[in-house]
Amino acid sequence: MAPAVLTAAGIETRRRRSSQVITSYHRPHDLDEAVRLITERDAVPLGGGTSLTTDRGGTPTEVVDLQALGLAGFDAHDGVVRVGSMTTLQAIADADEMPEVVRDAARREEPRSLRNAATIGGAVAGAHPESELVAALVAFGARATVVGGEGTSEHAVVELLADPALLSGRIVTAVSFATGGRAAADRTGRTPMDRPIVSVVAHRSPDGTRVAASGVAPHVVLVAPDAVADLDPPPDFRGSAEYRRHLASVLVGRVLARIGGQR
Amino acid sequence: MTSSVTLRINGEERTLPSRPDESLRSVLRAAGYYSVRFGSDTGETGAAGVLVDGRLVSADVMLASQAEGHEIETVEGLAGPGEMHPIQQAFIDTGAMQSGYSAPAMILAAKELLERKPNPTQDEVRDALSGVLDRESGYLRPVHAVLRAAATMLGEDPDDVSVVHLDQLVDTDTDVHHDREGLSDIAPRVVPSADVPPTRVVGHAEAKTDAIKLVKGNPAFTDDTDLDGALIAKVLYSPHAHARIVAIDDGEALALPGVHAVLHHGNVRRVRYASGGQSYPNPLPYDQVSFDDKVRYVGDRVAAVAAETEEIALEALDLIDVTYEVLPAVFDENEAIAEGAPVIHDEPDMEGAHDASRNIVHHLEAATGDIEAGLAAADRVFEQTFRVHQVQQTPIEPHVAIAEWDSDERLVITTSTQVPFHVRRMVAPLLGLPVRRIRIIKPRIGGGFGAKQEMLIEDIVGHLTIATDRRVRLELTREEEFVSSRTRHPQTITYRTGVDADGVLTGQEMRVIGNTGPYGTHGLTVQMVSGLRGLSSYNAPVKAFDCDVVYTNIPVPGAYRGYGAPQALFALECHMEDIAAELGMDAIEFRRKNWTKVGDPIDIAPQLGEGDIDEGIMPVITSSGLEECVLQGMRAIGWDRRNDPNWTEPTDRPHIRRGLGFAMAMHGTAIPGLDMGGASLKINDDGSFNLLVGATDLGTGSDTVLAQIAAEVVGVGVEDIIVYSSDTDMTPFDTGAYASSTTYISGMAVKRAAEGVREQIIDRAATLLGVPSDGIDLHSGAAWAEDGRSVTLGEIALHTLHQSAQHQIMSTASYVSPESPPPYAAQFAEVEVDIETGQVTVQRLVMAVDCGVPINPVTASGQVEGGMVQALGYAHCEEMAYDADGRMVNASFGPYKIYRSDEMPELEVILVQTMEESGPFGAKAIAEIPKDGVAPALRNAIADATGVRIDAIPLTPERVWRAMQAS
Repeated sequence: MAPAVLTAAGIETRRRRSSQVITSYHRPHDLDEAVRLITERDAVPLGGGTSLTTDRGGTPTEVVDLQALGLAGFDAHDGVVRVGSMTTLQAIADADEMPEVVRDAARREEPRSLRNAATIGGAVAGAHPESELVAALVAFGARATVVGGEGTSEHAVVELLADPALLSGRIVTAVSFATGGRAAADRTGRTPMDRPIVSVVAHRSPDGTRVAASGVAPHVVLVAPDAVADLDPPPDFRGSAEYRRHLASVLVGRVLARIGGQR
Repeated sequence: MTSSVTLRINGEERTLPSRPDESLRSVLRAAGYYSVRFGSDTGETGAAGVLVDGRLVSADVMLASQAEGHEIETVEGLAGPGEMHPIQQAFIDTGAMQSGYSAPAMILAAKELLERKPNPTQDEVRDALSGVLDRESGYLRPVHAVLRAAATMLGEDPDDVSVVHLDQLVDTDTDVHHDREGLSDIAPRVVPSADVPPTRVVGHAEAKTDAIKLVKGNPAFTDDTDLDGALIAKVLYSPHAHARIVAIDDGEALALPGVHAVLHHGNVRRVRYASGGQSYPNPLPYDQVSFDDKVRYVGDRVAAVAAETEEIALEALDLIDVTYEVLPAVFDENEAIAEGAPVIHDEPDMEGAHDASRNIVHHLEAATGDIEAGLAAADRVFEQTFRVHQVQQTPIEPHVAIAEWDSDERLVITTSTQVPFHVRRMVAPLLGLPVRRIRIIKPRIGGGFGAKQEMLIEDIVGHLTIATDRRVRLELTREEEFVSSRTRHPQTITYRTGVDADGVLTGQEMRVIGNTGPYGTHGLTVQMVSGLRGLSSYNAPVKAFDCDVVYTNIPVPGAYRGYGAPQALFALECHMEDIAAELGMDAIEFRRKNWTKVGDPIDIAPQLGEGDIDEGIMPVITSSGLEECVLQGMRAIGWDRRNDPNWTEPTDRPHIRRGLGFAMAMHGTAIPGLDMGGASLKINDDGSFNLLVGATDLGTGSDTVLAQIAAEVVGVGVEDIIVYSSDTDMTPFDTGAYASSTTYISGMAVKRAAEGVREQIIDRAATLLGVPSDGIDLHSGAAWAEDGRSVTLGEIALHTLHQSAQHQIMSTASYVSPESPPPYAAQFAEVEVDIETGQVTVQRLVMAVDCGVPINPVTASGQVEGGMVQALGYAHCEEMAYDADGRMVNASFGPYKIYRSDEMPELEVILVQTMEESGPFGAKAIAEIPKDGVAPALRNAIADATGVRIDAIPLTPERVWRAMQAS
């Protein structure tokens, strides 16, 4: 059988496990060891495992399980929350210290059985083009801490989405953002908990307003509210480019109205 | 590469063999934890749910190695033999399980929730269950099972689940008012009929007879077996929609160590057949062979491999070198019959197509008179064309079969099938074995919905066992289930209807172009049912049906619950709605004027029936509760809200419009003169009975219903009836689970067998009690004389088996019906439409059904709840989508969207009793009619909300938005 086909918009068609040949499993107990395995053995970081974030098309791969590195949990101070990359989506949905829009986006990302395993690091590294959670992180201006290569660096999540090579041979260890300000999200899907065809998340703080959208580009992007017409969304059977543009326009208007912003 | 993992499972530390890439599910199943079930490899079905450190996760997408050092719990650890956890008990008490395939995962999800939150809200329960997809129940009963368990565990009184009787509305002055206050969500609602005599077991909400094995996750399904020593089969599928196989080189694959056989057209005998699981002789055409030198869709069989492991089998598939000559393909039914379309069946040995050179498999015509004259007599003639799309049944248990030689060198195939007896007869010539050397065993089935009314993979495992002399197992992956099993027929449907000045039909014509994909299988009969159902709901002096069934290169349509009726009734009920609107008539009143009533003939049926019925006899409607169904449904949905602008246009949400929609449905009950079921009943020493039936319970609860019928007749409780179904060596013949036939046909066979047993019991009781037999009654497990003396069935059993005039009290009977009394239903839907985006949110579905006398109101309600939700998927969000080359682009759950527990509309089912004299204890069918009304009711509700009339499904956001743009 031909391998699962990804639609143009990158609709989630997870590969069969059997096509991902895993030749060894590592569970290092310190980060240096994990980075060494990933760089020296060209291994793949394993978060929750609900979808392997690197698709090597059946090429034999070693995996490095990040569960024993102490990367799960929240650390909030001065209005900034730092979320360890191995924090599960369920933990985010349950966390009082997280903004409601982010909690709700985490809840919408997967059903409970998968939220219990899937991680925020996986969501960022996976960069699903239709992820409302990723859109929420981008709207909040989240930054990812990345370890490997020349040490530790920080990147805006939106930057990683546009340039996945920044994560090659590296591990996302945390995602941080300021939790203040006002935020709103809206979406259109086939059913209430369907992965949205398009979702839009807006965030307003004294520093300005950010609007992020899923389903309008090959990855989640920041959109300029007055330039939605310039979007060129990859179409699929759930939404043509024209329709996705229309949705973006409607949803951007709605979320901006809710946070008191303007087009 | 084999290494091991050490896991703590249910409190016990075990070291188990495991490869680095092996999933936790795979390791647990190999270790005998069969409650951890396969639904897909990618986690989204949740059938493999286990608790890891107390949290539900899908064991498909967790490596076994990841689980090392964590506490794993499976349902096996919940309660020992003879014990029951309160959650398990609640799942039984509420009727939450149908097939029960995913029940273990749901129970674990509940356990996680209740440990965290002992008194959860309904929304929290729905969220907790969101990871376990259920294709059967509509989630209503599972959700309430969890709430019931919570109440029980807190020491509170749970909601009452016993039957609620609703007052009849026909011929009363009760207003049609929306008031559901105080009604338990899951208490079955029955509107009783005075014509129905009282019964002791029938009509009561008995627990499922197979509940223990299901709720405890005990091994019960085909694959719940030790596969050590079995070869694993894998199939190579065509990557092309249409191609000739120029060459196959299997040399490298065969040379791979661990590969035992590679089968393809070059080494398997060419025997023509039709794969649809139907009575002898199978309807034409015979257009399939086990392996062909031509492939006709992406997903068609090319070759099959048996190897020591799945990994080796997959590697072998990669090593088979196939050279294809790719041919042009056609996917649309209208294009397939156009001039110059590619010819899909050009092989010379093809049998029985109408005109294969034009891709026309069948041409059907039926008419009760001159349709043009009928239309000419009308004041107005309405013509409307509809398109219905392709969806898949998606049982959570995919097709799986295991073949092996037994010690008598007979071939035993254990398979998840709805039609074990058809499979035995149909597979025999393909394998070159006589029927007597084949035994088909049907264990529990994890859902079928028609996909398993097919001889689909049994020939492959049979061929491979014959080739290797080994036990061989083949289980389809989720993607294979989508593209290589069976689906619902897409159709283009055109109605022409003539109406006189009073709104009475003068003629109705239905033209169908049915798309049967590359093979005929059920193509003839599904399209016949479309015509039958599409032209039976309403009276018209003249009716005509014209249909072409055509070949295309899409994955194969076959049987899917409803079987041509959902397609037809979508078109019909939209058409009738729109005619009423054009005429300025009330949509229900217009239908009422024309719908069929008791005494009316089903006049198109004699021309569109399959069975051997006397052509001179016109079937007539013998019972109908439709009027009551409509009134009950209107009341439950709050039909009068349609006229309240405060409701239809909520002021606080300016982009939302609300609407209500209606559709009526009329179905059939079994195929008259064709469907036959057999049953055998015998007494045991303690006065219990073995009931052997060929009928196949695929989750519907038919084993329970049949046990209730037997218990009613011989005067015992359901617990005294031990049901076995089905095994071609052990049980009488049955055509199988399809065509809404089991309760009516197999039920009548059981009733007759039980009546034979009853007579023998009474004879012996008369001797023991010293009274004449005609005054003896059987109930409460004993035979009672008129003077109040009694002898227990246990005493009678011991007496007849051991003590005097020894004889086995037993009886066997079978039944075929000359009639097919129609069940009726009224379907209502409530929606919110976002008029800026086209997004439709379904708030509520109500169905009031006349299924005669429901033998078990809980399982009957469950059938309707689950059926409505499947139908909702068809109407709203499910579709098989393809790229330009005919390759399905959404062959996994998620992209192929089926409803989850946390996004469900409210569901309400009302069972309206009628006494159908031809059925066992008054029963008619219920299994399929829930599939018929949701799509038109939803579409009509959208029309009510927005004024936009859409003539195609699914009603996805962009389709609705475009329709609004165009209007």
